[in-house]
Amino acid sequence: MKKIASWMKDNGPQGDIVLGTRCRLARNLQGIPFPEGASRDDLRTVLQQAQEVLPHLQDLGGFAYFEMGTMDTLDRQVLVEEHLVSPSHTQNPQHKAVIINDAANVSIMVNEEDHLRIQVLKPGLQLAEAWRKATEIDDRFEAHLDYAFDMQSGYLTCCPTNAGTALRASVMFHLPALRRLNKVQEVLGAVSKFGLTVRGLYGEGSDARGNVFQLSNQITLGQSEEETIEHLARFTDQILHSERQAREYLLEEDRRLATEDWLFRSYGILRNARIITSQEAMELLSDLKLGVDLGVIEYRDPELLKQLMVQIRSAHLQKMMGQALPVQERDRLRASLIRDALNGNA
Amino acid sequence: MLCERCGENTATVKFVQIENNNKTELHLCQSCAQGYTNFSTGFDLQHLLSGMFQSGTLGQQLSPSRPVKKCPTCGRTILDVQKTGRLGCGSCYEVFYDELNPVLRRLHGSSTHTGKVPARGYPKARISRQIEDLRGRLQECVRQENYEQAAKYRDELRQLEKQLAGGDGE
Repeated sequence: MKKIASWMKDNGPQGDIVLGTRCRLARNLQGIPFPEGASRDDLRTVLQQAQEVLPHLQDLGGFAYFEMGTMDTLDRQVLVEEHLVSPSHTQNPQHKAVIINDAANVSIMVNEEDHLRIQVLKPGLQLAEAWRKATEIDDRFEAHLDYAFDMQSGYLTCCPTNAGTALRASVMFHLPALRRLNKVQEVLGAVSKFGLTVRGLYGEGSDARGNVFQLSNQITLGQSEEETIEHLARFTDQILHSERQAREYLLEEDRRLATEDWLFRSYGILRNARIITSQEAMELLSDLKLGVDLGVIEYRDPELLKQLMVQIRSAHLQKMMGQALPVQERDRLRASLIRDALNGNA
Repeated sequence: MLCERCGENTATVKFVQIENNNKTELHLCQSCAQGYTNFSTGFDLQHLLSGMFQSGTLGQQLSPSRPVKKCPTCGRTILDVQKTGRLGCGSCYEVFYDELNPVLRRLHGSSTHTGKVPARGYPKARISRQIEDLRGRLQECVRQENYEQAAKYRDELRQLEKQLAGGDGE
């Protein structure tokens, strides 16, 4: 189980600004308490029922079942870094599992906050495609399991913020130009008035590392899944437009030199640093990606760059070296990996 | 052990907090420990939700003459739900409907599901939902004078209406 998830390294539609799209459906089984209040037997029943659906998924692209408890810490952390499981799914991992397909762009967390969390990830902007895939997988589970559902409240979830469609659709943006111009707040600040929410790279409570922001729907009752997707898509278009304008602005005649100077300085550090933390690397790689997307900096392979943004994360780095490493060693290795990739020795 | 905050560095500092006889431990790395304070604004999702449940309904529930509502499937009481802001199982939605309904309205601006319906157990409802959805799309097409697409929707609509009347899939 280790090559980088396809959705994280491929460049999808609008790939210069949208890194990825995600659709998540929460589902629970009828008559069984939700995981946080469930007995061990209940949890085991859920695991077993989820496993029984496994053969019926196979024609959608080889799925495998992994118990979180039997996985080593590093493997769990790799899955978090690829967004295939949530950070909370790795805590108290007993009686928790994840089902992942070969391409590593579909994951089903079992016994997270809800019994099932079906998640589809796509590179670039692909909201409708991600939703279609998620509902297709949901149908397979639903054909074999009885869901907790009622006509009034829809799909019933542990947290009432998810009840109804239980759909959370997210678009992951790379907004370095808006950030540079201090306009992120202005553009994203208003979204809560429209039933949407913004978070950092790793979801709830995380910072916007490397200028990555996630936009998701907040409302799950009173609108259909299609309406939710369309609403999010409309906002996404506006944000794309603002970021593109900001990028053009940074390249206007009287600012171009300063912009180039900034981006090339970041590139210079990446190509020469001997020690680099993941935070600093993410920030500088964000600058480099902007430089490449603007055509200011030439780099042979934009997909390799996106891949590098994943490889330099702590768990991936240690996984690559086949062992847990102390921080200093990681920072040294990270710098060396980046130098090799950017100086064409990779 | 990895730092419980950043999950990146080795935890070298241990914070122990004892509150109401509850001991909690937090293992942090050097850099996270520097910025750490145990000050809590109490501003998190659980507190917000819990607050939503408590406004208005708590007074009635606490009056001693009324029995505390309890879900027969998972054993959660209305007090648990109010405290955590979370439900214990699917049946809770029915048992605590009166308390939950205003919360759902405040959270979503609505308390009525209009999305997908599982095929199993609800075949007719699923078709009705699809019909409603198609009618909306059909109207939109007519408004935009996109008659070609409208005709497609109309055919689909007839098909579904036939299914519904014939009771197919029951």
